[in-house]
Amino acid sequence: MPPTSPAPRLGDLERSVMEQLWDSTTTRPEGSSVREVLEGLPGERDLAYTTVMTVLDRLSKKGLVTRERDGRAWRYLPAGTRESLTAETMRASLGDVTDRRAALLHFLDGATSEELDDLRAALSEVEQRRG
Amino acid sequence: MYALLLAALAVLLSGVAPRLMARLGSFRRAPRAALVAWQAVSLAGVLAALLAAPAAVPALGEVGWLACVGDCTMTLAWFRAQRWIVVALAGAVTLAVLGRLLLSGHRIGTRLRAARARHRDLVDVLGAPAGEGREDGIRVLDHTTPTAYCLPGRRSRVVLTEGALAALPDDELAAVLAHERAHLRGRHDLLLEWFTVLHHSVPEPVRSPAALREVRLLVEALADRAAVRTSGPVTTARALMTLAQGQAPEAGLGAGGDGTTATRMRLLAEDALPAPTVVVMYVYAVAVVALPLVLLWLAWR
Repeated sequence: MPPTSPAPRLGDLERSVMEQLWDSTTTRPEGSSVREVLEGLPGERDLAYTTVMTVLDRLSKKGLVTRERDGRAWRYLPAGTRESLTAETMRASLGDVTDRRAALLHFLDGATSEELDDLRAALSEVEQRRG
Repeated sequence: MYALLLAALAVLLSGVAPRLMARLGSFRRAPRAALVAWQAVSLAGVLAALLAAPAAVPALGEVGWLACVGDCTMTLAWFRAQRWIVVALAGAVTLAVLGRLLLSGHRIGTRLRAARARHRDLVDVLGAPAGEGREDGIRVLDHTTPTAYCLPGRRSRVVLTEGALAALPDDELAAVLAHERAHLRGRHDLLLEWFTVLHHSVPEPVRSPAALREVRLLVEALADRAAVRTSGPVTTARALMTLAQGQAPEAGLGAGGDGTTATRMRLLAEDALPAPTVVVMYVYAVAVVALPLVLLWLAWR
């Protein structure tokens, strides 16, 4: 896909907006408005208010941000810290919940400490025969 | 008669054949042909189960013989006239088999796609920003546990952790990426989904977890071959070792694994099966799919 196509750009924007929300949770624990997110985004982007609103709406539909009414506007908060969402992702990928694991195709399907000796033996076999 | 044969064939192909094939270790040395054979057996099993009832229709048309006392021509004529009952019954049995398969497919498919969509949303916002010389579709998570996997589907992703980037030298990383791209390119997810759906639609006593495990191993062996083509067997084996070493202390996360890694590694040292054997495997695949169709044709002839 060429980098100019709209889909990846929207993805980049979602990521920037999430970064912005994560960075401002300490300064604005009550959440950020669309205007505040727009102003906090890196300056070289010439973004429309409605674009940021759309991005925040998409993120909230995905369950990545929560929002609360504040007068006539919404205030947006990340649904979890970067660390907690990373932990959720890692649990889904490494956890033993077979359902979620089956959704992904791993290079290595886990390993236990007991397995390592056998693996070392197998590796030296490969090195001897193919090295 | 042919209906009974087809029913027996369905049990044979979904219960007995997978158990036998799971023990054929040499199949692993030709993973592509082996997977074609596995698909053929599973497809033929489904066909046999679906066709058993339709094959019974011609024979059941003659059941009047069993019910007649004295003058048989009347009874036989009545049964022949009421043939639709037999056809309807056969249709109902076939629909029940098909329904079970579709329901199981729907359940598993919906669950898989929901889990993947959520996971993709997460890695898309958590993955390190683009423009660091990384190509599109690769996401890097800020986590020390080294792991690498792909998210299949229309908008596929390859996910790595910072831990994996730190642990893997460039040549091993290339092997890992080649392996994951082979999964995505070959749509191995659909293959695994088909076998998972079948596994769950087959009645409990017939299904074989060993068969499902073997198919998973074959899919990994197939992707490993792509890694070997890019990076060679030794580098691919070292990449497996590197990630295994990094993940083992994290067993607390629940990463038990299915214990096939050493098997995969030893396969990297093995020669591929000779061409004639591979041809035999493909012939077997074609024959096994043809079998239920031939039986149906014989029944209706």
